[in-house]
Amino acid sequence: MMTKTILAVDDSGSLRQMLSYSLKAAGYGVIEAVDGEDGLNKARQQAVDLVLTDQNMPGMDGLSLIRALRAMKGYQRVPILMLTTESGDDIKAMGRAAGASGWLVKPFDPARLTEVVKKLIG
Amino acid sequence: MMSRPPRPDDASPAQVRHLLSGVCVHHLAEVERDLVQMDALLNEAIKKLCGSFMAIHRAIDQQHELLSDTAAEEPARAERVDALREEIGRHVGAAVTGLQFQDMTSQLIGRMVQHLAGLRDVFGALGADGANGAPEPAGDAIPAAPGRIGEGTGVRRAEPGATVRSAVNQRHMESGDIELF
Repeated sequence: MMTKTILAVDDSGSLRQMLSYSLKAAGYGVIEAVDGEDGLNKARQQAVDLVLTDQNMPGMDGLSLIRALRAMKGYQRVPILMLTTESGDDIKAMGRAAGASGWLVKPFDPARLTEVVKKLIG
Repeated sequence: MMSRPPRPDDASPAQVRHLLSGVCVHHLAEVERDLVQMDALLNEAIKKLCGSFMAIHRAIDQQHELLSDTAAEEPARAERVDALREEIGRHVGAAVTGLQFQDMTSQLIGRMVQHLAGLRDVFGALGADGANGAPEPAGDAIPAAPGRIGEGTGVRRAEPGATVRSAVNQRHMESGDIELF
């Protein structure tokens, strides 16, 4: 069976480390990106099955990344989850309008995260 | 005739303002420097903690495999080994959730540093006016100064008592909500 690949975008090195560890332990392949711009480049280089992105990052933020990915060939239907400290209804609505598939508020619990990922991409 | 040493009463309001603003700028810069250093230390510490923690977990997993092999012919022991694995897994999950504190504190420290830099600019502008001998704060510098505090902190104008939006509202380290659209 092909390993599903997840693109994890976060400017925090420790957060990427923990995301990567949790998702790899659940059997997924993980590509890390340090911000929106880097995430977009990595998504161009390699097709991924799911994107997990932070919102507040230097340069391109999470919402801008989602909009850019949704405009990209091959990423219209790929699940994109926002993983952020932000939990306001207004920004969630913006995320939904931008094309996010879901909203996860930090800190994340590895078991709950992998459960959601499994539900979306198997 | 000996001249008496200058007393604070002798200083003009502009000179006092210049002196006080200089002291404030100095202290704010010190706090800012300490916060940046604290952020760097926390960042390095969390990287080391995460690295070691994950290595320990991997080693425990390997140990579990060995134990599973030896316990295969003893159902009660095998059951106990599996129960221990589950328990370790729960603790690992809780630790991963807890270790994410650095991501939040780093954002909060960044926000504090921006506020301090804004305040430093304000006091700097006040001091510059004092140094120029202006009797009262004049020009565009002072009215524009509060606006500078707001720059980069998510507000256009820093009015007294105004609430500045923060991206981090968590008060505890419990895992956050999940919503699928």
